[in-house]
Amino acid sequence: MGKGAGRSMKETKLIGETELAEGRYLYCVVNSAAKLSLGNIGIAKAEVYTVPHEDVAAVVHACQSQPYQSKDTNKVMEWVLSHNDVVDGATEHFGTVIPFSFDTIVKGGDTTIKDLLRRGYEKFEHELERLNQRAEYVVQIFSDQNKLVERILAENQALKELKEKTSKMPERAGYLFRRKLELKLNDACNVTRAKLADEFASQIKEHAEEMEIERKVAHLPENYKDKKLIAAFSCLVHEDNVKGLGQALGKISQEGYAVRFTGPWAPFSFVKLGEI
Amino acid sequence: MVIKVDEGNLKQGLLGLVVALAEIIKEALERQALRRIESGRLTAEEEVRLNEALADLDEALNHIKKENDIQDVVDSVIDGLSEVANVFLNPERWEKELGEA
Repeated sequence: MGKGAGRSMKETKLIGETELAEGRYLYCVVNSAAKLSLGNIGIAKAEVYTVPHEDVAAVVHACQSQPYQSKDTNKVMEWVLSHNDVVDGATEHFGTVIPFSFDTIVKGGDTTIKDLLRRGYEKFEHELERLNQRAEYVVQIFSDQNKLVERILAENQALKELKEKTSKMPERAGYLFRRKLELKLNDACNVTRAKLADEFASQIKEHAEEMEIERKVAHLPENYKDKKLIAAFSCLVHEDNVKGLGQALGKISQEGYAVRFTGPWAPFSFVKLGEI
Repeated sequence: MVIKVDEGNLKQGLLGLVVALAEIIKEALERQALRRIESGRLTAEEEVRLNEALADLDEALNHIKKENDIQDVVDSVIDGLSEVANVFLNPERWEKELGEA
C-alpha cells in the first residue's frame, strides 16, 4: 500500500483542534483535467477552484480546517445555498458532478486533495461514468383531503351509510359515532394513500433508473400546506427519460392530484463512493 | 455544560407533548367505548354518559390547543408516534394481525 492508501475520508477530515490547520472545503468532484479558478463564488465569497488529478478534479476553496458553524440560522442557510450554487454552477460548467454534502472539509492543502483523488480515482471515475447524463429529480404528489374522502365515501357503502346516520344525530349524544366515522375515514385514507403511493411509484419507476422513497418533506411552499402528501420520491433520471417522466406526472396531475416536480439537481441521493 | 432554554418554546413543546399523549389516549378510549356500545351491553343512559364525557374531553383538548397555539406541535408529535400509536392502541389491528399470523 502506498502512502496514505486505505486512509478513510473520516480520518482525513478535521475534528476540532485548538491549533487551526490548513483545510480545503470540498464541493464536488468533476470530469476535468484543468486547474481553473471559478471566481469568488464560494461560501462567504471564497475563491473556488479546481484541483485536478489526471482527468478528474475536485472543486474546492481554501479554508481553515474547522467546520462552518453558526447559531445564526440565516447565515447557515446562506452558506448552504452558496454550497448548492457552486455545485449547480459546476454541473453547468463540467456536466456530471459527484456532489459532497455541506461542510465537507479535508484537512490539508491541494496536495492532500490530489492524494485523495489519486486514492479514490477508480471510484470517482466509475461514479462519474455511472451518473453521466443523469440528474436527480424530486417528485412529490399531494391530494386534497376532501377529494380523498369523497372518493372513499363513493366506494364504501358502509361508511356512506354511517355518514348519513351521524349527520342526523344530536351533537353531544352522537359524538362517538361521529368519531367512529372520522377514525374509519382516517384509516381508509391511510390505506388509499398507501395504495396510490404504490401505483405512482410503479409509474415513475419506468422512467427512473433509481428511486428513493422520502418519508418527510421539508419546506413546503404555502400553496401545498393544506394538502396531504401521498408520496415523495427522489429519482435518478437519464436526460433522455426526463420528458417521459414529465408526461407520466402530467397524467397523474390530470387525475386531480397536485404534483410538485423539481430538478435537475446534482445526484446527491445516488452517489455511492463508500470509504476512500 | 449550560443548556439554554427558551421558555416559550419549552412551554409549547411540553404542553404539545402532553396534549398529544392525551389525544392518543382519548382515541384509545373512544375505540373502546365504541366497542362497548356496539356490543349492546350498555344501557341507554350509560351510552349517553360515555358520549358526553368523551365529547367534553374533546372540547377541553381543542380549547387548550387553540388557547396555546399548539395544534402544529401536537400534530407533529402524533405524526411521529402514529405508527407506534396505531399498533399500540388499535385493538382491531391486533385482531387483524393475529388473524393473519
